[in-house]
Amino acid sequence: MSVGEEKAKNRRGLSGWLNPYHYNLERWAYVFQRVTGLGILAYVVGHLGDTSFFVGGPTGTGPSSSTWAFMSNLVENSFGHLILVLVVLILVFHGTNGIRLIVSELGLVLGKPGAIEYPYKAKSLGAVQKAAIGLAIALALVAMVWTYLILFGGTI
Amino acid sequence: MRESRLMLIQYTTAVLAVALVAVHLLMQGIITPYSTAISFSTILSIYRSWFYAIFLEALLVVVLVHGFNGLRIILHEWKQTAPWSRWTDIGTLVAIVATVAYGTRTVILAIFGGVSG
Amino acid sequence: MTDLRLAIQRFDPSRDPKPRMVEYTVPRRQGMTVLEALLFARDYMDHSIGVRFSCRQASCGSCGMKINGRPRLACYTQVDELGGDSVVAQPMDNYAIIKDLVTDLGSFFQKHAQVTPRLVRSDAREQDNPTKEYLIKPDELSKVLQFTYCIKCGLCTSACPTVATDSKFPGPQALAQAYRYTADVRDQGGAERIESLDSEHGIWRCHFAGSCSYVCPKGVDPALGVQLLKRHVMSGKPPHLAEEASKEYRAPQTQT
Repeated sequence: MSVGEEKAKNRRGLSGWLNPYHYNLERWAYVFQRVTGLGILAYVVGHLGDTSFFVGGPTGTGPSSSTWAFMSNLVENSFGHLILVLVVLILVFHGTNGIRLIVSELGLVLGKPGAIEYPYKAKSLGAVQKAAIGLAIALALVAMVWTYLILFGGTI
Repeated sequence: MRESRLMLIQYTTAVLAVALVAVHLLMQGIITPYSTAISFSTILSIYRSWFYAIFLEALLVVVLVHGFNGLRIILHEWKQTAPWSRWTDIGTLVAIVATVAYGTRTVILAIFGGVSG
Repeated sequence: MTDLRLAIQRFDPSRDPKPRMVEYTVPRRQGMTVLEALLFARDYMDHSIGVRFSCRQASCGSCGMKINGRPRLACYTQVDELGGDSVVAQPMDNYAIIKDLVTDLGSFFQKHAQVTPRLVRSDAREQDNPTKEYLIKPDELSKVLQFTYCIKCGLCTSACPTVATDSKFPGPQALAQAYRYTADVRDQGGAERIESLDSEHGIWRCHFAGSCSYVCPKGVDPALGVQLLKRHVMSGKPPHLAEEASKEYRAPQTQT
């Protein structure tokens, strides 16, 4: 029909999920929750694979490429440890931010509806949300640094 | 199933996963130093203790149900055609069953498979 | 005062293959709203600029558009508050473009209508011919009052990340109105609303990104209403008089 029909639909598409620019902190948290969730799922599936090498025995009992030593050599290096540090970062963020979302989505800690006054600050996007997101970021960073020290600190 | 039941599963597995993953991380790096936590003999003793074997199995189920159901939600929000919805649901179930089965295989073989270190 | 550089997205789907940005230089004055700047450009520079407006005072909800990247009412946004010397005006996301800044809100109103946005009585005869005036106490009214301030401008649904991809999702405006009526003590239609929203593309596709409340020009806070409704969808019961209302509603009805 019209030449610009497709463009005219104007639905924002995946950029609405991935690009929170111009929007609120909770929107950024939404994007990170989604992205970290997918990252964790990918890691977990991979983790099923690497732990399955355990049944190949330490060394010697099976073909050498199916043993625990083989897998350990493959992942126990700086690159493997860097992945673990990042996994801890996104796990702790996803978990903490997820608790905030569950509590909020069940209508708790959001405040009660009531009379509103100009300039109409949304109650549901109040200090509790900002603090909880801040806590999620802080805990994730602490856990990441801690993991880094354990894996790269050389103390253990 | 009603969507609220699925969300209840998603919330419940989320809370359980936070607790189980926290314990899992502490066990691997803090309670036991990382270097010994991933040694063959330490892991073998963990699998061979009923408590930790059940713990790992619970972690497996909870995280995979939560993860794949989360992926299902994302895929449903992405496209809305009827075949897409149906195959996403089927794919989610298959993925959960397959991955849980594969992880359980590791747990069972580690306990009963005659692995020794 | 310096002039204002006003960039407008021009797009006529019947002629243009894709949208283009056109810049107009508009004399600026203190207190000028973006709508005034747009109307200046339309009246004195290019009569073909498509812009919809009516009340000019944030009451009608006609002039919703994306201003400097965020959905806002053009009449309610002063050029000064945006900072800088340039304003970028584009049509709202997630609505079909009719022409330039004018979007088609048809599907939006349809979604609104689908949540039965009116007080429902379980007695059909009473619904059609009320025998009395239904009153509400001030403290009960305060629980739903802010959601009644919705002017249906569509900014929230334009900001929603789920609506960006999910064409079946009701959107924040409709869901907040579902809460507004379900939480009203005079309403008995909550059980039915809850049942229809507890679906694959219903209320659970909201993940509390909160952008709806962030852009709402009237302080409605749709995200709050949606989250409050979720708990009741989870339990399957309307917020007020839960047992009586749902029992009464589910009673077999002979009249239609």
